[in-house]
Amino acid sequence: MATLDPALVEFLSSGVVLGCASRDARLVPRSVWAVGIRVEAGGEEVTVFLPMATAAEVVANLQDARRIAVVATAPVDHRSVQLKGQVLEVRPASEDEQSLTDRYRACLGRTLEPLGVPRAFVLRIQHWPAHAVRFRVEELFVQTPGPAAGQPFQGPFRPPEPVRT
Amino acid sequence: MIALRDIPECFEGVIPAMMTTCSLEGEPNITEISQVHLVDDTHVALSHQFFNKTQRNVRENPHASVLLFSPRTYEQYRLQLRFDHPESEGPLFDEMAARLQVIASHTGMVGVFKLRCADVYEVLSAEHVEGYLLPADPRVPRQERTEGRLEAMARELRGLQAISCRVNRAGCLEVLLESVLQALEEELGFRHAMVLLPDERGRLVTTASHGYGSGGVGAEVPMGEGLIGTVAARRRPMRVAGVGAELRYWRTIRAELRQAGNAPSAPEIPLPGLPDAQAQLALPLLVGDRLVGVLALESREPMAFDAWTETFLNILANQIALGIDRAASADDEGEQLPAAVAGEGTAAIAVPRTRVFQLFRNDDCIFVDSEYLIRNIPAKILWKLLRAHSESGRTEFSNRELRLDESLGLPEVRDNLESRLILLRKRLEEKCPEVQIRPVRRGRFELQIRCGVQLRESDSA
Repeated sequence: MATLDPALVEFLSSGVVLGCASRDARLVPRSVWAVGIRVEAGGEEVTVFLPMATAAEVVANLQDARRIAVVATAPVDHRSVQLKGQVLEVRPASEDEQSLTDRYRACLGRTLEPLGVPRAFVLRIQHWPAHAVRFRVEELFVQTPGPAAGQPFQGPFRPPEPVRT
Repeated sequence: MIALRDIPECFEGVIPAMMTTCSLEGEPNITEISQVHLVDDTHVALSHQFFNKTQRNVRENPHASVLLFSPRTYEQYRLQLRFDHPESEGPLFDEMAARLQVIASHTGMVGVFKLRCADVYEVLSAEHVEGYLLPADPRVPRQERTEGRLEAMARELRGLQAISCRVNRAGCLEVLLESVLQALEEELGFRHAMVLLPDERGRLVTTASHGYGSGGVGAEVPMGEGLIGTVAARRRPMRVAGVGAELRYWRTIRAELRQAGNAPSAPEIPLPGLPDAQAQLALPLLVGDRLVGVLALESREPMAFDAWTETFLNILANQIALGIDRAASADDEGEQLPAAVAGEGTAAIAVPRTRVFQLFRNDDCIFVDSEYLIRNIPAKILWKLLRAHSESGRTEFSNRELRLDESLGLPEVRDNLESRLILLRKRLEEKCPEVQIRPVRRGRFELQIRCGVQLRESDSA
């Protein structure tokens, strides 16, 4: 069991790129871009939002195998963390959760724009309707490129480097 | 299934990809990767500098999945992969290792670590991720009209023909280089380009540049260093797209190494040319296997140079190389030079003044009024001319007498005298316009001095 500390919770809401991984019964992996994340249960559980337009196979895998991995990466400096865990619930996201995915997409647009990605493209990411996948966080790993990638995350993140584009 | 060759921009490393694998116990793993390399129509490769979970997983369960992004359309593509084999030598490994070192050299990371291996994957399927992006709003005007492929090819072919004609017509090396670089902008829209020629010290010296202001000529790159030096050493073209993204990625690794106590000690080496270049392409200029120079282009657009650009500019590079070789060997005296070069003379300089030339003998280096001017063989040539002028008032000289003067240290074969004189002429134009070297006929030139000249010599600075 792992618990997300406040610094990590803040990192997850800072316009990071989110990827969600699954695998089927034959152990063939498949992933999809996620469009929002929410930390719950005092940092022990996480709900990740997956667009219905693109996540059908991944969601089927998650319902079946129940194992999930989510990577969150800051596009500016590539700081990255991976969450692994056990799927607790898969359901359609409710109407009042749409604003969370709206905010996520807007925040991602602000993060990517200085890197040369026009905000108009980010606003075209189809984020709604979405699936909500709640999982219990069991392990955290550093995914920042470098010698420590893949090691258990001890936290906290070093401060981000100034943006040099 | 879409063809990999239809989405080449996804393999340029401009937008990181996402790689997913699964352990034999059924645990999925997902991570960002900086670049997926396109090997052929059915294979891709990933580079590994550190042993990681992805590598471990595919060695026990070969299935993998990768999400790629187009830096042109931002559309998403999914490849389902099966690990095939690792490579730690051979052409693919060498190509990926060289590319890694080029970027590493810009962040002071050369030799800190090397490519461990390249993992080659078979591509089982490649699909466009339908529904990832909503359709573009037709009411929003597109920023620019998308040129049709055939239209673009016709324009590029016309450009190649025009530049090829200029190469063919150029009467001397200086006209050749300047007209080619100018035509690259006029005909093909490449605004920043330079030609570097090798010297006897194993360095590449910028002999002509376009789009960098007046200060570009004379800049040097060591053989084997950075993109240009690597291209010269390997004699193969290379390009880097999304330079800013690559540098950010490597600075992160550098910071991680520092945190782990393995900080690289080498400083960052500034990119040559544009400080904010986003794309670079360098092509070796070869006659047979012999390197006669490097053509380097830069752009602020991350995707300015693709595989197609590299291919068609390589045709041009071959022509330029032959032109350089021809200009270097057709150096006989007597033929009248084009008006653009001969007798062009600097406009009258209003106030005569005295310029002090200082030779430092230990490294054959000349300063003018305490500012660096030139070094090595071009410096020895200038000193010989200035001495002759000061002692006897001589103003006209021949290439032949320079070649016969052993004290200058010109190699007996392929002495590159013409390119050394171009370099000297351009450095004088920039740093001391009162003293000029002007070709008068092929193989003969004139020293024009419109100021007082004082010569000083010392052993060292």
